[in-house]
Amino acid sequence: MSGDRVGIIGIGQSEFCSRRDDASYPELVREGVVRAMQDANLDFDAIEAVVYSLSPDAMIGIGNAERLGVDAVGGRNKPFLRINNGGATGISAVAAAYYHVASGMFDVVLTAGADKIGECGDSQTILNKIWDPSYERPLPLGTINMLAMSAVRYMQRYGMTEEDMARVTVKNRRHASLNPKAHLRRIVSIEDVLASRLISWPIKLMDCCPQSSGGAAMVLASEKFIRGNHLDAVWITGVGHSAETYWMGDRMGNNPTAEHADAYALGRSFEKSYRMAGVTDPARQVHVAELYAPFSNTEFHSIDAARLVSRPGESVARLRDGEFDIGGKIPVNPSGGTLCTNAIAVTAMARVAEVALQVWGRAGEHQVEGARLGIASGNGGDHQIFGTMVIEA
Amino acid sequence: MGMRVQPAVIGCTIRPVIAARDRSLEEMIYDTAQLALADAGITIEDVDGIVVAANDQFDGRSISVMMASGPVGGVDRDIMSTPSASEHAFILGALRVATGQFRTQLVVSWSPTETSSMAEAQRLGTDPYFHRGLPLDELSAHALQASAVERAEPRARAAAEAVAEKNRAHGRAAWPNPPVQTQPGPLRWPIMPTMTTAPVTGSVAMVLAAPDFIAERGLRDVAWLQGMGWATEPSFLGDRDLTSAPALAAAARQAYATAGITDPASAFDLAEVTDATPYAELLAYEALSLCPRVDWQAQATDGSLARGGRLPVNLSGGVLTWNPVFCTGLIRVAEVANQIRGRAGAHQLPNVRRGLAHAGSGFAMQYQAAMVLGREARA
Repeated sequence: MSGDRVGIIGIGQSEFCSRRDDASYPELVREGVVRAMQDANLDFDAIEAVVYSLSPDAMIGIGNAERLGVDAVGGRNKPFLRINNGGATGISAVAAAYYHVASGMFDVVLTAGADKIGECGDSQTILNKIWDPSYERPLPLGTINMLAMSAVRYMQRYGMTEEDMARVTVKNRRHASLNPKAHLRRIVSIEDVLASRLISWPIKLMDCCPQSSGGAAMVLASEKFIRGNHLDAVWITGVGHSAETYWMGDRMGNNPTAEHADAYALGRSFEKSYRMAGVTDPARQVHVAELYAPFSNTEFHSIDAARLVSRPGESVARLRDGEFDIGGKIPVNPSGGTLCTNAIAVTAMARVAEVALQVWGRAGEHQVEGARLGIASGNGGDHQIFGTMVIEA
Repeated sequence: MGMRVQPAVIGCTIRPVIAARDRSLEEMIYDTAQLALADAGITIEDVDGIVVAANDQFDGRSISVMMASGPVGGVDRDIMSTPSASEHAFILGALRVATGQFRTQLVVSWSPTETSSMAEAQRLGTDPYFHRGLPLDELSAHALQASAVERAEPRARAAAEAVAEKNRAHGRAAWPNPPVQTQPGPLRWPIMPTMTTAPVTGSVAMVLAAPDFIAERGLRDVAWLQGMGWATEPSFLGDRDLTSAPALAAAARQAYATAGITDPASAFDLAEVTDATPYAELLAYEALSLCPRVDWQAQATDGSLARGGRLPVNLSGGVLTWNPVFCTGLIRVAEVANQIRGRAGAHQLPNVRRGLAHAGSGFAMQYQAAMVLGREARA
């Protein structure tokens, strides 16, 4: 391998939950940072630049709330900037930190953030404001009914049922029960999910992610720094982003620019990451996946887009067969995933962090045996902006 | 440390004021992006990646990049956003080219004025418990800094008045009929109406490219990024020494080290400085090592920093002339790039070889950045 790789040398995550009345927003950011710095065994003097991970300001209730996080990340008089790609923000922030190091300008970069979704009042009211004020807000659109429309189209095209959706929740809750950082850790049955309150057909309460509070941080470094300081690391070998149209109506109807049942731009993003990492046959080469899926149905089209199956829709049957369970062929979301924990600003960072821990062999009870190459994804906007990564031991 | 691949600016469009109300925000962003691509002589098909920057509160959106993604050509393309500052979009775009993984980047920022109160939108950016009730907006924070500077340096007020007069004169030469505030009394003590101007709607876009792309296309009018630095001040005004700009000094050290500049005062043909107030410009002189504070008054009044002087600062008229609030930082970078490319228009200075851009933003210039741009690839 070349000596120009970028490695992950430190990871910190909160134990995510509904409320953190004991910690202010900056204190929650600090929690992830302290844990990542301890994991990396570095002093703050070693941090040369900071990338701040924060999605909509309105979730925190402070405009440009990253300004209030400067001290929490030790950013005084250091290079500092914020990324906001909606729900993809966390993985986009790791990507931005990666670009800092890969540019040759920096050896050690910290990326960090936090969210208090559980304390924002009503995230759907805030998320309604992501849409066009004249045409789409009054419908009213929210992220749940937006992806319920995707579910209906996926059902029609590929035969997914409500029971299939429930199986995703059952799997991910079982995984989350093994992960002490996950928010929703109670094991549930298919019957529990089907009997839970209807939110927006076919999505029921247990098909939905929670509103989580918590922080996360990661430390990235150049291969030169890692080798020179004899540090342990895993490597970011593929990075990609892609986006699709903002307009919901352009993803449905007779001639959609990108079919709303699928995740077109997620697939395009994975194409870039795979090409960069030299992954040509993901169904054979990928050992573990953390795919951003805030609603049960969206895990299927994410698996399709990552080409962990041979054709769109095949993920439904494969999931029924247990191929994406811990112990299965390619475990998907062994942490419990976004469906069990969603502190939006850092949710996609947690996907990268969890894959890194897996290929590092440090994932604990939810470790996937023998994982050496993993993939992570993040979805932002109205299922619009997608970031992906390949992480290798 | 240096960049693995040296980026250059190959296209710019600066729209410091968009007075016409006949275009939606999406159309305004589309126009801006297309003008920058045309200036570079390329199309969106040549663009590998995009970085945008806007303020959700000014835009009235929860995630501004979403709406902008189509107008800037982001569909089926790699797009990211840096809502912390317009200049941060340039920085991330430059970093991406510097990795060698992207040949081109389109960088776009905009700042509308449709919100019912810019001051209230800015006030939402303060700490909700301690500062929001003051009330504090960006001009108030700039005024607190100006007061601190006046107290520390008694001659600063005369120097600030001279800086404002210089920038107004530059603005009159650069643009037809720039606005002048004439209301009596201070806006926020000690900031007088003649020291700032009212917010306007504006936008800016830049195209960055790698050397192999520039060679392949035979591009000649390019401005090479010789050095780049950026830094932030702490979160709370009370934790800062407002009489100086240490984050800008740190940013300048980073930029100058990369560019190999040891004597900044004599290194540049011109500079563009974010003069949110003339006091901010004075602090930038010191932090950028262009003029020590003991010489502020002398050099602000003797023409040293005006057209024809040793180091013309803000030939565009600066923020004092046009103030599209959120994108003023990126406009400073684009102004210097256009001066080097010979495309600065009425305020073009002949034969610019190297220039310095300072971008600052936030409460009392919390975010600071310095860019060294030059006609030659290496300093």
